[in-house]
Order: sequence, then structure tokens, then C-alpha cells
Amino acid sequence: MLIVPWSLQVTSRAVFEPGADDGDEVYKVGTAFPLLQALQRVNKRLLEENPDESLLFDVVLITTNTQQQQRSSSIISSTRHYGLDVSRFCFSSEEDFVESLLKNNVQLFLSADRNEASQASQKGVLSALLDQHSASCPPEQLKVLFSGDAIIRPDTDPTPASRQGAQTFLAQLGEMRRRFGAFDSPLSIVLVTVTGGRESCGAALRTLRSHGVSVDEAYCLAGAPRAPILSLLRPHFLLSDGLGGLEE
Amino acid sequence: MVKMSLDPVQVMSGQVKELKVASSSNGESRGSWEEKEEFDQDHLGLSTKPKPVTGRRARKVEGGVFFPKPENAVTIAVSSRVLFRTEREQKVFEQKGVEEYLRYQVEHENEPFAPGPAFPFVKALEAVNARLRELYPQSEELFDIVLVTYNHAHVGIRLINTINHHNLFIERFCMTGGSSPIGYLKAWHTNLYLSADAEKVREALAEGIAAATMFMPEKLTEVSESQLRVAFDGDAVLFSDESERIFKAHGLDKFFEHERENEDTLLDHGPLKGFLEALGKLQKKFYAKGHRLDCPIRTYLVTARSAASSGIRALKTLRAWGLEIDEALFLAGAPKGPMLEKIRPHIYFD
Repeated sequence: MLIVPWSLQVTSRAVFEPGADDGDEVYKVGTAFPLLQALQRVNKRLLEENPDESLLFDVVLITTNTQQQQRSSSIISSTRHYGLDVSRFCFSSEEDFVESLLKNNVQLFLSADRNEASQASQKGVLSALLDQHSASCPPEQLKVLFSGDAIIRPDTDPTPASRQGAQTFLAQLGEMRRRFGAFDSPLSIVLVTVTGGRESCGAALRTLRSHGVSVDEAYCLAGAPRAPILSLLRPHFLLSDGLGGLEE
Repeated sequence: MVKMSLDPVQVMSGQVKELKVASSSNGESRGSWEEKEEFDQDHLGLSTKPKPVTGRRARKVEGGVFFPKPENAVTIAVSSRVLFRTEREQKVFEQKGVEEYLRYQVEHENEPFAPGPAFPFVKALEAVNARLRELYPQSEELFDIVLVTYNHAHVGIRLINTINHHNLFIERFCMTGGSSPIGYLKAWHTNLYLSADAEKVREALAEGIAAATMFMPEKLTEVSESQLRVAFDGDAVLFSDESERIFKAHGLDKFFEHERENEDTLLDHGPLKGFLEALGKLQKKFYAKGHRLDCPIRTYLVTARSAASSGIRALKTLRAWGLEIDEALFLAGAPKGPMLEKIRPHIYFD
């Protein structure tokens, strides 16, 4: 089986603040910035373990905002300025950005814009929403958060493409996690079950395991308020949509 | 520091031994202890192999609130190491490292852990909850037990299987995968944290969370299954340790003198005052419905102070705080063992 680099597309709007001042050559950092740093750290550690490692995060920056596209050189120089490892830049219109996602063979699409994430998700691209919490996440360890209730709750309309996408994603994420030991891993997988009790949590743990993912931290809330827990966990992104219907 | 929880499990020759019913078992409790449980119907026959746990048994709790809001409930956070017996796994961890430990846990996933020192206490909490639900079906003022562990979630399925096996009502947990759970304890509005590790207890106390260490007792005694009994020492537990410090530094005479002089000054509060308060609140709910005599919660003060002299200050302080304690036992320096033997508390905060 050939393991391919893991393509991850982020909107540049999430990585950089839209510059108020056109004279600026370099943008200020945005919500997804710590995320990219954490992704890079995982790559760095993977290569330390194995210099020939091919299972790495491959980050593609997509810009749909015409204003930003005009400043495309600023985007590119900003990434260089901050030492961000971006393999490709993609400029596309708002109408067909999903097409370009599909064309780029993207495995995961991250955006701070709910509409964009939802559009991509409907076309079968696994998507996750970045929020203001992501901005304050520590870049030392990439925390991927799964919402247990979504995993075991059947999706309203899982397309075969999205299910396949989710399964591939999980298998590769699990594979990547296995490259590191229990402690001192640059990647941590977290499960939170919000409404269900221990049975839901147990079911989600088993489902993830059946797809090759071993969970590091698990929190079963059974109806307790999730905000305090999430603010402590500080995940970089939360996967809930697109994972439904994974349980056979 | 908590001393001894009196554990009714394992009635073989008064020793703490794992009940070995299969070669690879961690030690399930079978036999006469299981028969006493009113919920336990399926395990009357002794089996020779640990049964793999499939599915849940019927819950006997009917109606009522299942998931109270943490701020309304009396939240008790229990570490997996005190709720269950995990010595064998601890040894694997210490001798062979974390990867082997995790592999071992997953391999033995379908073997439930045996009950640990906090188990009878938790069972008693559930008994109180059952009574509370009968009297106040809509109320969220219940005991809420949260399982807290530093373990990786690899161990999660085994813990869930164990909870199912013992028919415990635990629906909330935190498996932190190695990082400190203190932040989560606060988020859960934890009223009491029980751990096997003194360091973690210290950390919790420093953050203002009532906490205590528990460990397996040498001797095992039966405890009530229908009445929760909680015993507290006075100094450094309910009250601050100011007087105890004087006693330790300057001796008994100085201690008495100090107490006499300060008889009308309230003692400062200790780390477990809040928990006694929470118990008192629940007790009042039973009294309100005419259950003063058969209240399923009973509290005791067991202190080295003497009733005639230094004890007065303790009682005055409790009264001023508006706290009731059901029985106050002043030992005047006598050993506590025989007294505890008589009371048989589920937990004694020392």
C-alpha cells in the first residue's frame, strides 16, 4: 500500500489577518497560525524518526478572496516570513473553490468560515471548522478533537465519497499517531462525548479503533457543559461533520 | 490524609488477596460478596473464568434525574486506582514501561477490575442517590461520580467494561492521557477528589479542591450498604491545622493553654469543611421528608481532642458554621482504631 502525503488545505484568510493597510508586505497572523506551526512540528518529528518518511502533512493554502489574490505576493512572502511550510498556493474563485479542492485531492479542508466548510462538506470533502479557540492553541502539540456523538450518530446524508474520505483520513491519522510513543507525542487525539454517557463513549472509542485510530484522551460529559472542558483542551480543530455513518 | 476505607470485599481469611478464579484474571470478586448486592443477579454461580462483558445489565434506577448539572450536584471525582484494584497493571507499568502497560490493558480489556478501596464508598453514594430520587425525582441535588484517570484512553474500554460489570452508575469521566486533571476537576465543580497519589491530592488541595488519598487497608470489615457513613478528624481536616501545629511544636500543655485562651474564637476552616457542608445539605433534604432517624447519611467527628476541654472550641466552631454532625467522639488522646471499628465508616478523613 502506498502511503501518500496527506493533503490539507487551509484558507489563507484563516492563516493571516486581512491586512487593513495595503502597504504591508507581511500579514499579521490569524486563527489557523498555531495550527500550521503544530502541523509543521509533527512533520519535523516524523522526519526525525524516519528521514524517509512519506506520511507527512502537506499544507495547501487556498485563497478565494479577490482582495487577497491581488496581494498574492504578500501571502507568499508572509508564509516565508513566518517560516511556514506551505507546499502549494491555490487561488480560486468563490464559486469553484470546491472543484479546486477536489482537483487537488485534498483530504481535509479547514476554514474559519462556516459556509465554506459546509459547502465543501456537502460535496464530499472532509471539512473542519476553525474557531477562535484555535488561535490560542499551543503550537507544541497538535490536538485533533473528535466529537463522539457525531461518530456514532448516523449522518443525514453520507455520500459514498465522504465516507471514503473519512475512513481514509482516520486510517492515515491513526498511522501517523503510531509513529510516536504514548508520551511526548507531537500529535494527540482527543475524544469528547457531549450528550451521551459511557456507552456512547465506549462505542465511539471502538469505532475509532476499528478505523485504526487509538485515542489518547477521552472525556465523557453526559450532558455537562462543554465550554469549560473545551477551553481546557484547546484543540486545534474539531471533527464532527462528515464522520457520521462510520459505524456499520 | 485519608486512612482506611473499610472494604467488605474478599472475605477470605481476613487478608487482602486477589480472588483468583482464573489464571489471567486481575482478580474478580465472586462468591459471597457479590450475593449481597441487591442489583447483582447474574453471578450467583462461581465461574472459573472471567466472563467477557457483553452489553449492559438492566438498570434498577427508575425515573429521576440521570445527568445532574455539575454545579447542582455534589461531585465526587474518583481516581480509577482507588475505585478499582489495579496493582498488577501498576507493576507492569513500573517494570516494563508505558507501551507494554497499554498493550497489557488492551489485551485484558474484557476482564473487569476488582473493587478497590473507594468502591464501598461509591456504592453507598449510589444508595443515597436512590433514596434521594425517590423523595425528590426532579432534583439535581444528588451525588455525581466522575471517574478521573491519568490513563490513556486505551484503557477506557476496560474501565467502561468494569463499570458495566459492577453495575455502577458512572456516566462521566476524564481520561487525560498523562496530563494533570486538576483543571478538569475545577470545570466539573468537584466537591471531593479521591486519589491514590498524595502528590495529586496536594495539587488539588492547593487549588482549593477538597481531596484525600485512599489506600487498601490491611484488615477488611463489612460496612453498611444502606447508610453512608463519613467520619472526619477535626484538626487539619474540618478545621485548620493551627492548633495541631502548636501541639507538635510546643507539646500538650501549650496546646491546652492555647485552646482555653481561644475558646471563643472560631477555628479556621480546613480542607474538608466544604464537603461536610455538602453532606449536611443533603441530610436536610431527608429530614424535610421526615427521615431524620433513618437518614441514609450519617456523619461523625472522631478527634483526639477531649470533650471536657479542647473539644468545646471544636463544637462551638461547628455550631457557628451552621454545620451539624451526627456524632462527635472525643477520644482525649486514646487510639482511634477501636472507635472506628465500632462506627465502620465508609471513609474516614484523617
